[in-house]
Amino acid sequence: MSSTNPGTGIHHAARMFATEHLAGQMSRREFLSRATALGVTSAAAYGLIGATPVQAQSERVVPPMGGTLRIEMQVLAQKDPRTYDFTQLYNALSGVLEPLVEVRRDGSFAGLLLESWEVNDDATEYVLNLRPNVAWNNGDAFTAEDVVANFAGWCDSSVEGNSMASRLAALTDETTGKIRDGAATIVDPLTVKLTLLTSDITIIPSITEYPAVVQHRDLIGTVPSDHFVGTGAYRMAEYVVGVGAVLEKNPDHPYWRDAYLDRIEFVDLGTDPAAVVAAAEAEDIDMNYDSVGEFVEIFTAIGWEPSEIATSSTVVIRTNQEAEVDGVKPYADVRVRRALALAVDNSVLLELGYAGLGIVANNQHVGPMHPEHAELPPFEPNPEEARRLLEEAGMLDYEHELISIDDDYRRNTTDAMAAQLRDAGIKVTRKIIPGTTFWNDWTKYPFSSTNWNGRPLAVQLLALAYRTGEAWNETAFSNAEFDETLAKAMAIADHDKRREHMRRLQEIMIEEGVVVQPYWRSLYRHVRPGVLNGERHQGDIVNVHYLGLAE
Amino acid sequence: MAFFILRRVGVMLLTSLCLTFIVFFLTNLEPNLEKLAKTQGNARMTDAEVTSWLDRNGYAQPMVLRYGEWLGVLPGWTREAEDGTVTGRCIHGTVTAETAPRFCGILQLDFGQSTVFREEVSSIIGTRLGLTGILMFWVMVVMVPSALIIGVLAGMREGSRTDRALSTFSIATTATPEYVSGVIFITVFASSAVGLKWFKGSAASAMDGVTFENFTLPVLTMALYGMGYIARMTRASMAEVMTAQYIRTARLKGVSFPNIVVKHALRNALIAPFTVIMLQFPWLLTGVVIVETLFNYKGFGWTLVQAASNNDIELLLSCSVVAVFVVLVTQLISDIGYVYLNPRIRMA
Repeated sequence: MSSTNPGTGIHHAARMFATEHLAGQMSRREFLSRATALGVTSAAAYGLIGATPVQAQSERVVPPMGGTLRIEMQVLAQKDPRTYDFTQLYNALSGVLEPLVEVRRDGSFAGLLLESWEVNDDATEYVLNLRPNVAWNNGDAFTAEDVVANFAGWCDSSVEGNSMASRLAALTDETTGKIRDGAATIVDPLTVKLTLLTSDITIIPSITEYPAVVQHRDLIGTVPSDHFVGTGAYRMAEYVVGVGAVLEKNPDHPYWRDAYLDRIEFVDLGTDPAAVVAAAEAEDIDMNYDSVGEFVEIFTAIGWEPSEIATSSTVVIRTNQEAEVDGVKPYADVRVRRALALAVDNSVLLELGYAGLGIVANNQHVGPMHPEHAELPPFEPNPEEARRLLEEAGMLDYEHELISIDDDYRRNTTDAMAAQLRDAGIKVTRKIIPGTTFWNDWTKYPFSSTNWNGRPLAVQLLALAYRTGEAWNETAFSNAEFDETLAKAMAIADHDKRREHMRRLQEIMIEEGVVVQPYWRSLYRHVRPGVLNGERHQGDIVNVHYLGLAE
Repeated sequence: MAFFILRRVGVMLLTSLCLTFIVFFLTNLEPNLEKLAKTQGNARMTDAEVTSWLDRNGYAQPMVLRYGEWLGVLPGWTREAEDGTVTGRCIHGTVTAETAPRFCGILQLDFGQSTVFREEVSSIIGTRLGLTGILMFWVMVVMVPSALIIGVLAGMREGSRTDRALSTFSIATTATPEYVSGVIFITVFASSAVGLKWFKGSAASAMDGVTFENFTLPVLTMALYGMGYIARMTRASMAEVMTAQYIRTARLKGVSFPNIVVKHALRNALIAPFTVIMLQFPWLLTGVVIVETLFNYKGFGWTLVQAASNNDIELLLSCSVVAVFVVLVTQLISDIGYVYLNPRIRMA
């Protein structure tokens, strides 16, 4: 490729990132994320910054063979992987189905079904090199045909709920809603070439997401639990929705690397964390899925080992600018939106809403964990100014209805926001909707809170949530300058040049008062002492191939 | 007698029909269908996608037609997609478009497919009802004898110190709802907070095999609640019998007190509790909802919660059919049993 140095095969931009990391302009995790997305192996990336490959390996230990591990996790009804909406759906099958590329805990990308990949200079051409000697558990070989068939499946926007289509918009033909002719082509049985019309740096991050698991070429669009055909080392012994799932090592299938445990049991204990604690105390489980709020402390107190990861998962409390309440659009006025943000101290929301388990955010939905984050002056709350703006807009007497889901942190955070608004002299009533119905209308609520999962790059988040007309644009935000700047930013692989555009995007988020985004969440999980490699992953991924038990 | 049973069966069918229609109507309201589409498709689908999903899966037809299809009096819907694949109500699992029957409703003993569990409703109901059966069996084993003993002991000498103590106990247990006593039991007997850790606070492992450790708390939670009630009924009935003339005659004859209680009073005193005990079956069937959820025991009650919160129409309908069946069958048994216990009553 034009961009790779023939001597070392390292993308020139990766060398640039290394210099910046060493100059202290970028954290190690950001550096790894950026460099490995360009096809540099994580060992080589560590080499670029003078860290030893031993450190690269230190993330995971090699467990002894054998053992049974019981994991508490919701076991949901399987569906076409492209339409997955919860990570649990992928995790339950992670021993059977694998993605092309994974994100590691340190933020680096590593090939699973791909051995390596190369990206050209302006990110319009990707060459994907498949891992040789990978087989499906039905006996077929894994080839380029599988990869191309999967890309075609991911790009099919006629499938209801297929979220991969919007992630891979650069490969999709807008008129047909299917993959563009020639966007993914077979070079040889182990090489696939992606050709994009516009630059897109998010292709590799997108195919690490949990809906991007690779299905057999003839089984695209099927529900995996109907056949359990995959490349993984395990087979499904039992899958009962709401109760549990059992994975057993598949003795008839040669797996391309080591897998340690003999048996993994997923136990569904519902959504009440207290039930999980009871099961942990009863020694019915060895690992939980998520420790939230006060339960972080409780699990640690019963002797389980915690693991923590700071993420770009967050909560936004947003207004819908087009929503009509009694015939008026209260949030179409930028003064009202800005006032709501000014009235709130985000650090208080973090403290009361999420027990302080995270870092304060600045209402931009772009954070320091994103490589292209631009540092803006911190957002200062100013209730006086908020009242003045509302008075100017003639909305001081307006009674806002603030909606949230009925759960732990989202409800508490929203309650704290309502309390602060009342303190600032703004009238608010709260409405709490049960989880089973909340998502029916989540994009249309006039004023409500939503949780957003993290994405490796900030532009991915902004494109999903704030671009004009996007399916998940819950603010109805539509700003020509924002869309234009975002399009420019998404075409730049060099993050320093992109940061100039990011600065403007972040400023627009503040100027327009698009959302109140109080904090970035740290995520926690606990394991019984002796469970290996069960650390919490920023994307909630549990890949059972890595798990093990100490002897 | 035969006529009596026939009439009861008729009432049962009619009740089932009315109840299922109400459940069908409520689960098929538009917001509920939208919710169903979103849980089945993607939680964040757009409105257009929801409409197309509903249309593709046969939910766009009028409600009455679909109720008829569920009953099996109208032929199931079929739909041919653009690429020629035929989908339909009766086509699922191994059944193909060619082999599918025209009718597939409960009249054909086809309870349909559960949308949450992606399984045959009949097999789900079978498994889950079996698990609840085990729980109910142990609850009955603990609850009935202890309630009768407490009731008889309290009722044989009305107003005595034993009576006062046992009555207080029964009232206290009945007045404590399961979600309170269950939580207290877990905290006291199963958590590190108190440190006793005698039992397990989760009955999830009991689904594979019941042990003393994992089943005591759920059984105790349910049994205590019902026990107080039955004990109070038994006490009242016992106290009444003990004041009867023939008991006084027996005493004057010089029969010993234990003999009076066991040989003369008991049979008559058990008539009223018998009805109450039979009434406990339907109560247990719905009462298990809380206990099964609290202790993570996946039986009928838990299935009901899952079906209701995910708007799983066919599963919910079958649950209500089962509930009606259990209520009326236990009532039938109680009416027939009554005749044997009390010869004064005749079946009309």
